Amino acid sequence: MDRKTVTPRLVLVLAILASSAFALPASASTVKPKWAGSRALAVHRFPLKDETGQVIVPTETNPLPFAAGNSCAPCHCYKDIKRGRHFNASSPDAPAGRPGEPWIWLDERTGTQLPLSDRPWKGVFKPADLGLSDWDMTLLFGRHSPGGGFTEPAPEAETPGSRWSVSGKAEINCLGCHNASPAQNHSEWAKQILRENFRWAATAASGLGEVGGMASRLNPTWDIADGPNPDDSEWAVAPFVKYDRSLFDSKHQAKLDLAYPPKDSACLPCHSTAPAEAKKFEHEADVHTAAGIACASCHRNDISHDIIRGYEGEDKDNPALISGDFTCRACHLGREEQSKDAVLPGRMGAPYPYHYGIPEVHFERLACTVCHSGPLPAPEPVRVRTARANRLGIFGAADWSTDLPAVVEPVYLREKNGLLTPHRMMWPAFWGLADKDAVQPLRPAEVEAAAGDVLYPERAVTRILAALLNGPASSGTPVCILAGRLYGAHIDGGLDILDPGTEPVPAGTSFGVLEAGRFRALLPDFNPADADAAAEPEAAIQGILESLAATEARPGEPALFIKGFLYRLIDGALDKSEKKDRTGAGPDWVWINSDGALEPMVSEPVKDTVMSLTGTDKRLTEGQVARVLDLLARGGRSNPVYVSGGKLHRLDKRGRLETVAGQAAEPVAWPMAHEVRPARQALGWNGCTDCHSVASDFFFSGIKGQGPLQTKRVMSRTNASFMGVNNLYHRLFGLTYIGRPYLKLVLAAAAFLIAAVLLAALLGAIGRVSGLMEKRNRIP
Amino acid sequence: MIAFIVVTILALAALVFLLTTLRFQASAAGRLPGKKAPPFNLGAYLRWLGKHIRTIFSAAFFRRTWSIWNGWGEARYPGWLKWVFLVFAAAFAYLAASGLFFAVFIRRGLYGLPLLAHIASGGLFAVGLAAIMFLRARDYRFDVHPPTAGVSFAVPLFKTVSADVIRKALFWMFATLGLVQVSTALCSMLPVFTFNTQVALLMIHRWSALGLTLTALLFFDLALLGRPKTPEA
Repeated sequence: MDRKTVTPRLVLVLAILASSAFALPASASTVKPKWAGSRALAVHRFPLKDETGQVIVPTETNPLPFAAGNSCAPCHCYKDIKRGRHFNASSPDAPAGRPGEPWIWLDERTGTQLPLSDRPWKGVFKPADLGLSDWDMTLLFGRHSPGGGFTEPAPEAETPGSRWSVSGKAEINCLGCHNASPAQNHSEWAKQILRENFRWAATAASGLGEVGGMASRLNPTWDIADGPNPDDSEWAVAPFVKYDRSLFDSKHQAKLDLAYPPKDSACLPCHSTAPAEAKKFEHEADVHTAAGIACASCHRNDISHDIIRGYEGEDKDNPALISGDFTCRACHLGREEQSKDAVLPGRMGAPYPYHYGIPEVHFERLACTVCHSGPLPAPEPVRVRTARANRLGIFGAADWSTDLPAVVEPVYLREKNGLLTPHRMMWPAFWGLADKDAVQPLRPAEVEAAAGDVLYPERAVTRILAALLNGPASSGTPVCILAGRLYGAHIDGGLDILDPGTEPVPAGTSFGVLEAGRFRALLPDFNPADADAAAEPEAAIQGILESLAATEARPGEPALFIKGFLYRLIDGALDKSEKKDRTGAGPDWVWINSDGALEPMVSEPVKDTVMSLTGTDKRLTEGQVARVLDLLARGGRSNPVYVSGGKLHRLDKRGRLETVAGQAAEPVAWPMAHEVRPARQALGWNGCTDCHSVASDFFFSGIKGQGPLQTKRVMSRTNASFMGVNNLYHRLFGLTYIGRPYLKLVLAAAAFLIAAVLLAALLGAIGRVSGLMEKRNRIP
Repeated sequence: MIAFIVVTILALAALVFLLTTLRFQASAAGRLPGKKAPPFNLGAYLRWLGKHIRTIFSAAFFRRTWSIWNGWGEARYPGWLKWVFLVFAAAFAYLAASGLFFAVFIRRGLYGLPLLAHIASGGLFAVGLAAIMFLRARDYRFDVHPPTAGVSFAVPLFKTVSADVIRKALFWMFATLGLVQVSTALCSMLPVFTFNTQVALLMIHRWSALGLTLTALLFFDLALLGRPKTPEA
C-alpha cells in the first residue's frame, strides 16, 4: 500500500469520525444529561407532538392527542425515564426492593381479590400466570397507573384479543406528576382509561384539551388514521380532541406550568391511605407534610426516575441510589456512623430524637416506624382504604370506590433486615384448584360461568322490584320486605337496606313502596272472604299481578295467597279461588310453576343470602360457596377450593363445607411508612407501658382474616405471633411492669444506703489519713 | 463490644488460671517429702485440673460448696440474716453468669426469660448488698487488724501485702462496683436519659459487671476458700 492510497483513506476516516462527533448533540437522548447547576426551572413553552412526530396545531381539524415520548424527548430521555420505579415493574433488571402495595384484582361478584405484581414479592401472583395480558392489566389498573409499564407494551408483547390499535397506548403520563396546573385531573385520566381512550388520556387529564368519544365502542378495525366516524355521531363516536387554544401561543407552542419536584397533589391520587370509617376532617396529615415537607422532598429521583423509597437497606437493594441519606435515621440521627468525631446533622436539619429512657435494644430491633407511623395499636387493627386497592381519588357522579379489599394496619412483621416494621395486610380471596399445597386461581369469568345464578341471589328480588316500578310502585321506590327490613334496588343492580321512616313494617316477606321517605304496604289488610270489603284491594292485586307478570325471567305465573284464597290472572282477568290445602295466612307472593306448584317469589336461600350480605362488605355466604364448589366439581374441575379470610374452604367427602389452613390463604403484607406521627404521639411517649403490659394492644391485638366470605371461620392471630415473639413471655414481661415502680424505689433505696456506707468509709479514711479524726479523739 | 468480649474471656481465663495454678502448686508441694514447691508442670496441672473439674459433677461437690457458703453465712450473720447473705450470693451468681454468658456468646445480648430473671435478681442483689454493707462493713475497716494480719498473701504481686488488707480492699471494691451496677440499672429505667446516655450506661454496666465478677472470684478464693497451706505457711 503506497502513501498516496493511505492518505485519502485516512482523511475519509477522520472525516467520518469528525462528523460523528458533531452529530452527538443531535442524538443527545441516548446520553444521560448532567445537571449543569442551575436551580431555576426552565419555562416549558414548546411545541407538542403527536405520536407520529408531527407538531400539534390546535386550530386544525381533528388534531391528534399529544404524545409524551415525542413531545418531551428532545430534552428528556424517554428511554431512561421508562426504566424508572413507576414504570419498570415487569423489567427483569429492575430491583424488586422491599415489598410494596400490590395491585389487587377485585371482582366483587365472585368474591375475588388477588394481589398481583410482576415484582417477586412474597404472596403475590404474576399477572401472566393468571392469564392477564398487558391489555387486561390496563383495563383493570390503568385508572391508577402513571402510564408506561403495562399500559405501553412493546409491539411484540401485544396479545391477541387486545385492541391497542384502536385505543393506542398510554405512554408515560409526564404531566400526571409534573403538571402544576389546577386543571390536571386524575379523575379524567381514569375515565379515559375506562373508555379505552388510552392515547387520549394524558391530553384529557392535563386540561390541554377536551376529549370526546369512546374507543371501546369502535369497531376493532378502526385506526386513528381513519379519523371520525361519519356514520355515527351518537354511539360509536371515535375519540377526538378539542385543544384549549388559550394554552398555546401564536406559534402553536404549548404554555405548560410544570412542577419540579412534583407537588403532593400529584402523588395523592394514587398514594392516599385513610381509615375506612374516618371522616375527612378527622384525618391527621403526616407530621412531615404538616411541617411543609413535600413527598418529593424525600422521595427524590433524577432523570432516571428511580425514586428513592427511603427504607433501611434500600441502598443495598439498589446501589445506584443514594437512598441511605433519606431514611428516617439518616435525616434524624445525622451521620453519626460515618463520622465518629462529630455528629453531622441529617437532611434538612431534622430534629434529633433523644429518646429519653428508651433502652438500646429498641433501636436494634425495631424500625422507627413501629413507634412513629400509622395508627396507634388498638384491640383490633384499623381497616384502611388505599387509593389503588379501593379505587379512591376518582371523582364524579359515579362512586368508583369499593369497600373491598379489606386492608388492615398496623400488623408488625420482621423485615429481612431483622427490624420489626409495621405493615399493611390483606388476605387473598379467590376460587381455585388445589394441587397439594398450591392453589391455582380460577379467573372470575370462569367461576361466574360455572356458578350461574348462585352468585346473583339478589336478582330474584331486583327483577320483581323493577317490575313493580312500572306498576303500583311507580309513585315511589318499590321495596322488598324481609324480616321487618326494607330492601330497595340501587343503580348497579344490587340491593340497599332502606329506612322505613316512622311507619311500621310487616314481619314476613312481602313488597311495599317508599314514598317521600315513608313506607306504604302494597295491599291493605283485608278479608278476602268478605266480597264487599275485598273489592278495592282486589283491584290493587290485579294491578300488581299484571306488573309482576312482566317480570324478567320469571319462573312462573305470579299469584297471591292470602288467608286461604289464591289470586291469579287467567286470560288477563283476576281469578280468586279457595286454597284450603295451604297453611298460613299470607300474604304470600308466589310463582305458579309449570307443574302448578306454588313457589315463594323470594325463596328461603335467597332470603337468607340477601339478609346476610346486604349492607355489609361481604359478597358470599357459606351456602353459596358450597353450591359453587359443588358446581365447579360437577363441571369437571378437580379439587376446587375457595380461599378467603386466611382459610381454605372445600367440600368434604359428604359434600359439606370444611375449612382448613393453607399456604395459599396466607395474608400478603407490605411495610408502611406513613402517616408519621409527631414524637408526642409516638409509642413510648407515655412510658414503657405503652407497649409492655399484660394486655398490650401492641403485642396482643387480635388480627382476624378479612375477606368477601361471610363466615366466622377465619384466620385469627395476635400481633405477637406475626412478630415471631413469644406470647407468654411478653405477657410475663408486661406483668413485671406492675412491679417496676417498686423495683425502682428498692434500687434507689439500696443505692442510697450503699453509697452512704461507702461515703462514710471514705470520709473516715480521709479523716484518719489527714489526722482529723485522731486529733478530734485526743481532745480532752 | 468485641473488645468487651475479648477482655472478658481473657481476664476470666487468666484469673482462673492464676488461682488454680496456685492451688495446684500448693497441693503438689504438700505431697512432696521436703514440702518445697516443684517447678510448674503443665501436664500435671491439666491432669489435676481435669480431676477437680470432674468432681464438680459429683454430689460431694455440692455438699462441700453448700457447707462453705452456709458456714460463712452462719459465722457472720446470726439467725435469719444468714439467708440474706445466701440469697444475695445466689442472686449475684445468677447475675454474673447470665449477664456475661449472654454478653459474650449471644449476639443479641440478654433477652427473654433469662432477662426477666436477671432483673428480678438485680433487685435481690441490690437489697442484699445494701444489707451486707449496713451489717458487715465495719468488719472491713482497715484500722481493725485481726490476729492473722501478718500472713502474707500468696499471689505473687501482692506477696508483701497482707491477705487481710487484700480481702478488705476486695470488699470495698466489690461494694463500689456493686453501687455502679445498681445505679446504672436504675438510671437506665428512668425516663430522663437520652439514647446515647442509655448506651453509655449499658457499657458501664457491662464493664463494671466484669470487674465485679473478677473481684468476687478473688474474694471467694481468698476469703471463703482460704489459702492452701504452703510449706512456708
